[in-house]
Amino acid sequence: MTFKQIVWKMAKVHYKKYIFYFLCNSLAVMFFFMFMTVYFNDQIVQVKESESIKYLLTVPGVALVVFTVFFIGYAHSVFMKRRRNEFGLFMTIGMSGRDISKLLLLENGVIAFFSIISGILAGTIFSRLFFLLLMNSVGLQAVPFHLNSEMFMYSIIIFLIVFTIAVGQSLFLTLRQNVIHSLKSDKVTESIKLKSPLIGGLGLAILIGSIVGLYYTYSDPAISGDYLLLWAMATFMGLYISLHQFTSFFIAFAKKNKPFYYRRLLFLANLDYKFKQLTSILMLVTAMIMVTILYSTITLFTYMLTEKEAIDSNPYDMAYIQTENKNNLNSEELYSIVDQKENPINERLLIPIYSYYEKHPYQDWINVYNFMSVDHFNQLTSSQMELEDKEFLYYINDELENEGDEGDQGISFSFPNIKGEETYTLKETIAERNINNLPDLYDFIIVSNSEFEQLNNKIDGFESNLHLINVANWKQSSNTVEELTGSFKNYNEKTPPNADIRTEHYSEEQLFQVASKVQSYDRNKSSNGISFFVTTFLSIIFFLGSFFLLYINLFSDIDKEKDRIKKLNNIGITTKEVKKMISREITTLFFMPTILGTAIALLYIIAMATDIGGVMKNPEIILHFFIVAGIYHCIQVGFYLYARKKMFSYLTGV
Amino acid sequence: MAVLDARNIVKIYGDSSGEAATTALDGVSFSMNKGEFVAIMGPSGSGKTTLLNVMSGIDSPTSGEVTIEGQKISKMTGNKLALFRRKQLGFVFQEFNLLNSLNVQENMMLPMILEKKKAAEMEDKVQDLASLFGIESILNKYPYHTSGGQQQRTAVSRALVNEPSIIFADEPTGNLDSKSSTVIMECFEKIVHELSTTVLIVTHDVFAASYCEKVVFIKDGLIDSYIVKKGSRKEFLNQIMDNLAVLGGRPHDL
Repeated sequence: MTFKQIVWKMAKVHYKKYIFYFLCNSLAVMFFFMFMTVYFNDQIVQVKESESIKYLLTVPGVALVVFTVFFIGYAHSVFMKRRRNEFGLFMTIGMSGRDISKLLLLENGVIAFFSIISGILAGTIFSRLFFLLLMNSVGLQAVPFHLNSEMFMYSIIIFLIVFTIAVGQSLFLTLRQNVIHSLKSDKVTESIKLKSPLIGGLGLAILIGSIVGLYYTYSDPAISGDYLLLWAMATFMGLYISLHQFTSFFIAFAKKNKPFYYRRLLFLANLDYKFKQLTSILMLVTAMIMVTILYSTITLFTYMLTEKEAIDSNPYDMAYIQTENKNNLNSEELYSIVDQKENPINERLLIPIYSYYEKHPYQDWINVYNFMSVDHFNQLTSSQMELEDKEFLYYINDELENEGDEGDQGISFSFPNIKGEETYTLKETIAERNINNLPDLYDFIIVSNSEFEQLNNKIDGFESNLHLINVANWKQSSNTVEELTGSFKNYNEKTPPNADIRTEHYSEEQLFQVASKVQSYDRNKSSNGISFFVTTFLSIIFFLGSFFLLYINLFSDIDKEKDRIKKLNNIGITTKEVKKMISREITTLFFMPTILGTAIALLYIIAMATDIGGVMKNPEIILHFFIVAGIYHCIQVGFYLYARKKMFSYLTGV
Repeated sequence: MAVLDARNIVKIYGDSSGEAATTALDGVSFSMNKGEFVAIMGPSGSGKTTLLNVMSGIDSPTSGEVTIEGQKISKMTGNKLALFRRKQLGFVFQEFNLLNSLNVQENMMLPMILEKKKAAEMEDKVQDLASLFGIESILNKYPYHTSGGQQQRTAVSRALVNEPSIIFADEPTGNLDSKSSTVIMECFEKIVHELSTTVLIVTHDVFAASYCEKVVFIKDGLIDSYIVKKGSRKEFLNQIMDNLAVLGGRPHDL
């Protein structure tokens, strides 16, 4: 029998071991490749240069590299643990180190080769599928799926680097350590040598420091996301060090408290026993859950923001300015366009406005004074203001961020030169958004009805009407808006252009545009679309990844676990006790990373929200976070119950 | 009163009516009194391990009944049986059956931990047994760092911690060299003489069997004969070998 035949025969006998190892590796390749299909997507590369999407890809990028390193390391160590006692056996019967190396390299080479092929293949299929599903569900056509050489190159190179290091390390250990150690590799506990609360403290300091650092760099708009890569790396490193140290610290501490320790002996001893493997898994799952929750929150926030922004900046579904010779369709024409059977007009408001334009004496600047009568103002704002002659209200069509702002604006306001030099007194300043964003209609001077009627005698301004329309369903109004815009355009082309002060800063088209909710929404959607797509895609990858990891971890070692339960059965353990023990172990494995990951995600969200004014100003972020975290936890509980049931039935036969 | 009483034990593996069925035990009756030290011997495939498993509740008989301390264990199932075994029986296995994740002390404590005994009580018990069997120095070591003999002494101590009424040992010296075997068998002697516990071992090791007070020979699923120690261990050993030769088994491990 030749050497090759021996290898082949052994591989056939231990096929399960190889399949597990192979699956883990192809999974790692698959995840990485899927990320690459997004990272190197032409459409995304284009916007990556300029927009914040670069930052969006940073954290998952780091997390994925961490994932690849640990996951391949983990799969390799599980594989080698089982393999090394065979190698030990070979060496005792006289196989040389050279033969062992040859065997190890051959096996791993074959597995790496097939992992790359199957990983990339599966990655392509899943990625394609995700693109398709996301495009359809979001209605986004902007990001087409395609493949390019960079995607393949980076996936393969990174995988090979990590894989080679793992194999090199095993080779080194197998050849260097004595045969006995190899033979018993299966039975040795995995406690760490470098145990110290100081190192644990350092890890925690790095973890906290990275989040504080993130917070401060995000609160400085000039650098904002520039250090995200650094902070993300620091977070994961700190997390690993602290998890590593604190688990061992916790075990050492528990051992001192005898009654506590003995009651949980089987659980804690197992924790100690599988220490390295467990901390790696905990760290990985924590990182993945953190990314999932962080990105799902960002996704949800972006999605909600798209709508919220459209609604906030457009209180009415449609709004436009009409003057005597512009946008002046008669009611019948207007209704025939806007008042559709399936989407009728719900509300219509017409507010006469008198605008006075004043050139700034020194700069190229125009002050616009828009006048409105108090009755119309009341109609617009649903308030009951009353004004005497010579009194006015200063109305700002905006939600001001700080309460104090309105006062300042009111004081610095100077009334225009009205013929006759009359003095008007400011009664109140009011700031609230009631009108869609239209050029030159930011603030208004509200005067009494009689004053308003006489304005055109006093100052030389322009009369116009502000039209505000609400329909039954604004999301269905995009055709109507287009049609209306078209009709206005036709009408306006037939009338002479306004060549006066009004068109010095804005074109006629801008001035007489229709400001609609639906168009604003569509605009936001397409500008947020790519980030939306990327975050959703990444959330899904990481979401699935964390489940695969947990599942693999639970069921890869199940034969050993069964053996352990059998030993316990021999000394008389009840099914109930076995179940309790399994429950305890699975609970830790499932919920510790979930809680940790959720906490870190929350801190990241708080830190990253500083560039949009902090969470206090955007409480909905926290709401979104809790929605996402809540959903995630529910799914996790479901998966936990399923996995537990499966473990029970496998290990106890009940 | 008998500590252990087995009546008409029949054990058939496979479908009892089918052709592939194997009769391992064919109506064995057997009983032990308190403080007895008995070995069951017989050629491979004679059914000795099956008998031990049935009598200790690890396996259930096809027919017949087993009573330990007045309780019919052949009628018990599931958790009730597990609890009974944990409280009333001690087990020693050929493969030691220690958990790799626990150190020697923790392995010894395990049955007491399952019984939720107090930490101080458990530690006292461990100390007592460890000094009795000379394994105090390895209490904090993990099984893979200790010798086979030490592992088996740990297993014996573990079998004793809950003060069982009977200890079952399946080939306890099967994985040990003769020196370690001597130590283990001396441990069993101590258990019988100092703690007056009842011990039943299954072995094919004549040397180990010679430590017992009575050896029961079984063949083809039936009790063939038994001999009782009267003189020295050396004489008893020769007697056992003669008996085995008659039985047709070949004595090993001399």
